[in-house]
Amino acid sequence: MSARRSTARQVAKGVLVALLLVFTLFPVYWMLNSSLDAQAGHTSSFWPAEPTLEHYTFVLTEGGFGGFLRNSLVVALATVLVSAVLALLASVAVARFRFRLRTQILMLVLIVQMVPLEALVIPLFVQVRDLQLLGTLLGLVVVYVALALPFGIWMLRGFVAAVPVELEEAAYLDGATWGRMFRSVLLPLVAPGLVATSIFSFITAWNEFIFAMTMLGGATESYTVAIGLRSFFGVHSNDWGAIMAASTIITVPVMIFFILVQRRLAAGLTSGAVKA
Amino acid sequence: MTAQAPPTPRSSGQAPAGAGRAAAGWSSRTRAAVARPWLLLAPALLVLAVLLLWPLVRVFLFSLQDYGLREITTGEPNWIGLRNYGEILTAPELWTVVLPNTVGFAVLSVAGTVAFGTAVAVLLASLGPFWRTVTSSAIMAAWAMPAVTGTYVWVWIFDADRGVFNDTLMNLGLLDDPTNWFTNRWTFYAIVLLNVIHHGFPFVAVTVLAGLLGVPKEMLEAAEMDGAGAFRRFFSIVVPQLRQVFAVVIILSTIWDFKVFAQVYLMPGGAGSNRSVLNLGVWSYVESFGQNRYGFGSAIAVLLTLLLLVITAVYVRTVLAEEER
Amino acid sequence: MNRTMRRSVAVTTGAVVLAASVAACGSGGEGGGESADSLSVWIMQGTNPDADAFFDEVATAFEEETGATLDVQFVEWGDAHDRFVTSIAGGTTPDVAETGTTWTPEFADAGALAPLDEYVSDAGVTDDLVEGLVEAGTYDEQLYGMPWYAGVRSLVYNTEMFEQAGVEAPTTWDELEDAAAALKEEFPDKVAVAVPGDAEFTVYPWVWGAGGEVATLDGDTWTSHLDSPESQEGIAFWTGLATEGGYSSTGATTWRETDVLDAFAAGDVGMAVMGSWTPGAIVEANADMEGRFAAVPIPGKDGGIAPSVLGGSHLSMFETAQDKDLAWAFLEMMTTGEFAQQWAEQSGYFPGQVSLLDETLASTDPLVAPFAEQFVDGGASVPAAPTYGAVQAKLTTSTMMQSILSGEQDVATASAAAAEEMTKILNGAG
Repeated sequence: MSARRSTARQVAKGVLVALLLVFTLFPVYWMLNSSLDAQAGHTSSFWPAEPTLEHYTFVLTEGGFGGFLRNSLVVALATVLVSAVLALLASVAVARFRFRLRTQILMLVLIVQMVPLEALVIPLFVQVRDLQLLGTLLGLVVVYVALALPFGIWMLRGFVAAVPVELEEAAYLDGATWGRMFRSVLLPLVAPGLVATSIFSFITAWNEFIFAMTMLGGATESYTVAIGLRSFFGVHSNDWGAIMAASTIITVPVMIFFILVQRRLAAGLTSGAVKA
Repeated sequence: MTAQAPPTPRSSGQAPAGAGRAAAGWSSRTRAAVARPWLLLAPALLVLAVLLLWPLVRVFLFSLQDYGLREITTGEPNWIGLRNYGEILTAPELWTVVLPNTVGFAVLSVAGTVAFGTAVAVLLASLGPFWRTVTSSAIMAAWAMPAVTGTYVWVWIFDADRGVFNDTLMNLGLLDDPTNWFTNRWTFYAIVLLNVIHHGFPFVAVTVLAGLLGVPKEMLEAAEMDGAGAFRRFFSIVVPQLRQVFAVVIILSTIWDFKVFAQVYLMPGGAGSNRSVLNLGVWSYVESFGQNRYGFGSAIAVLLTLLLLVITAVYVRTVLAEEER
Repeated sequence: MNRTMRRSVAVTTGAVVLAASVAACGSGGEGGGESADSLSVWIMQGTNPDADAFFDEVATAFEEETGATLDVQFVEWGDAHDRFVTSIAGGTTPDVAETGTTWTPEFADAGALAPLDEYVSDAGVTDDLVEGLVEAGTYDEQLYGMPWYAGVRSLVYNTEMFEQAGVEAPTTWDELEDAAAALKEEFPDKVAVAVPGDAEFTVYPWVWGAGGEVATLDGDTWTSHLDSPESQEGIAFWTGLATEGGYSSTGATTWRETDVLDAFAAGDVGMAVMGSWTPGAIVEANADMEGRFAAVPIPGKDGGIAPSVLGGSHLSMFETAQDKDLAWAFLEMMTTGEFAQQWAEQSGYFPGQVSLLDETLASTDPLVAPFAEQFVDGGASVPAAPTYGAVQAKLTTSTMMQSILSGEQDVATASAAAAEEMTKILNGAG
């Protein structure tokens, strides 16, 4: 009885997974398909009408994507690291400690998330100029960290809050300092939340265009992939092949990043701190 | 037994030696404990304050001015008080088209994204590690694809003359002549909904999955032994455990889906030539930044922020209230 | 506890304020043209495929003449307006920049540009500039934008399709309609004539061709005449080709000029209103199209030429430029004489200097001559108001077209709404 139920279950699961993959990957497939087609944008065939790699070679050489990828990688990784550290510390503060202004600070952080970015462009531009960080990747990282922090703090707050206080107290009873407790107890259990936050920060920094364009201005050597992608949308006509090839190139590193970190998503389960 | 006690709502983290609220005679340990939250917060607050505090104030100040290109060039303010706000709130199209589109769309997309994402997370959690990795990585592609590109792909799919959608429908005999799906408000937004849910569900799936994997297995097993079915177990045990995660996901999805811009702007007719599909993001852009009326745009930004505060207030209170217990 | 809290907050705030003020003090010294020995210039990306080599030449010549170096930055059209605004706000404007013809009055009105009349008369070229461009670059009776290059839109058609359908290039509106009908019969799956819903400048020739006006200035007030009987006649003719004749396509209801070009390059369109700069782009998109298309000036209702918008760019000098004489030297070098000619040739546009045009006008190239004819005999300009940019941002004309083409409104209602909106925006009322 249970064998049959489990086979039916497996089949059902398989079907669901297949459907999910079809839905998710259909547009991705279209993007990939067009990037390899010399007649991109002019045909609607499921297979490249005229297979070619010229879009990729163009994008990576004349399109400047070699350099853009490097810049974006630097910016994104820096943003992930810095915002992860800052958000983690901050979220521990708001989740574990009771102090005056705690609610107000949480609200302030949330409000930052709500303001439409277009309204912030000019004031932020002036601010970054005042900090003398215009045209630099560092300036961009600082802006992206500021944009990723609110989400990170709110997200991690929930994960930190979900860690039972008893575990911490057990560690203290064993003689651990706060720092030791943080490293051995809290951190492993919050790891899944950190992963989710890192992915978000990465994608934010990776795909963001408005502020990249505004802050970098004419510093073409520092341009990111988002700016590079826009350059293929020409005045008279769009170079669809290049756009799709560039988009594919943009999509891949994010997926690699995810594959590398996603194993930590399940870390909380087996850290050994759950069972006494 | 072990961690069977449901994670207690975080009553204040009682640091060792008790963070006493009494004033006099503090030991250095107490002082360290009391300063700790602020020390932890300081770096993040510094970044936010230096970078965003002043710009936010400036946005508010702009909103009280008739701030255009001339004011930008001369740097001289041009105060008009609350006139911008008055103009916004009395604009007829705001109430007849823009807000209904924005709110209706946000409701549908948040519901759709969260429901679909959660379902996917449950599916993922039930898979073995290998298939979970493969499937979740595949889903990431939808999130990783630039929103701009994704929008154009969906535009192609539904293109009137050469799109796959029309082609298939005509081949199946369901459609006689090619239809332009972008001119009708409902089909236009159906496509945007598809686009946004497709782009947004991976975030929900990954986040909820992270939460799911943290639910103590013992609780689920105990319930199963007590005879609770799958749905019952899900809704009575898993969902309450994940309340905080859901709250955050819903709050953030609401904020994002309210501010949707590119996915509408880049669609044919979505940049303003189709007045029936205007949403808040596009309307705001066309009315303000497109016309060099930055004061007006800032006022819209302030109003939108307030609106979002009100809307998410319910969830925010849920999140914060749980802590007080 | 309170005291400690407050102290922590005070310390943090103090640090923030300190940091900000240190940083603020350290700034300054920004602004276009850091030193008198260098000129910063912004040029739009994509107009001239050989722009890099071209500016290398210009830089060498410029240094020889003035001793100053040239710092050229290429900007994408799509981002240019935003970058201008943020640079004005942040004090990082260039000395000289290419400004689209509809932007020049806008920036001039804001006080960002420097007037050029004196320089122009000193150089003796006041009467040698293309009138349409001068008109577009004049604000408050002063010239702010130096005419650099311009293009014009005419009727481009697929010669192969025409031959097969047995039609000739139309010279009147009736002929155009007949040609469309013949094309539709011969090629039922293709677009006989593309009537795009989101391409503002393809609409005005029909308005003007029927004797209508887009908008006129009376004293200080603008009035839009898109709903006058003549304008309506023109709009009705043009949209009728789609709504009544079915000569266009359902997709075209939301087409922009880029979509028209895409479809034409793919060989799916019989005729369309396209710019003089498109032949190169068409062949680049699809090499097979070479030699298979030609152009003809947009026909007037009963013959003649219907006026078409002269779209182009000015070179403008920012008020913030430290050495205006140096900036003018560059402007003069670029817009008159040899370099102006070279730029026009390489980019497929017409130069802004009339005396340079003679050579281009004498050309017999079937893809140049018709445009040249349209340029000289049928060139017009949109209302040169600083607020016209706002009309374009609001997509007033496109909204009208789309509602007519999708069948939602008839010509009378849609044009009345558009005229009302345009009048309101032009007069700065929102």
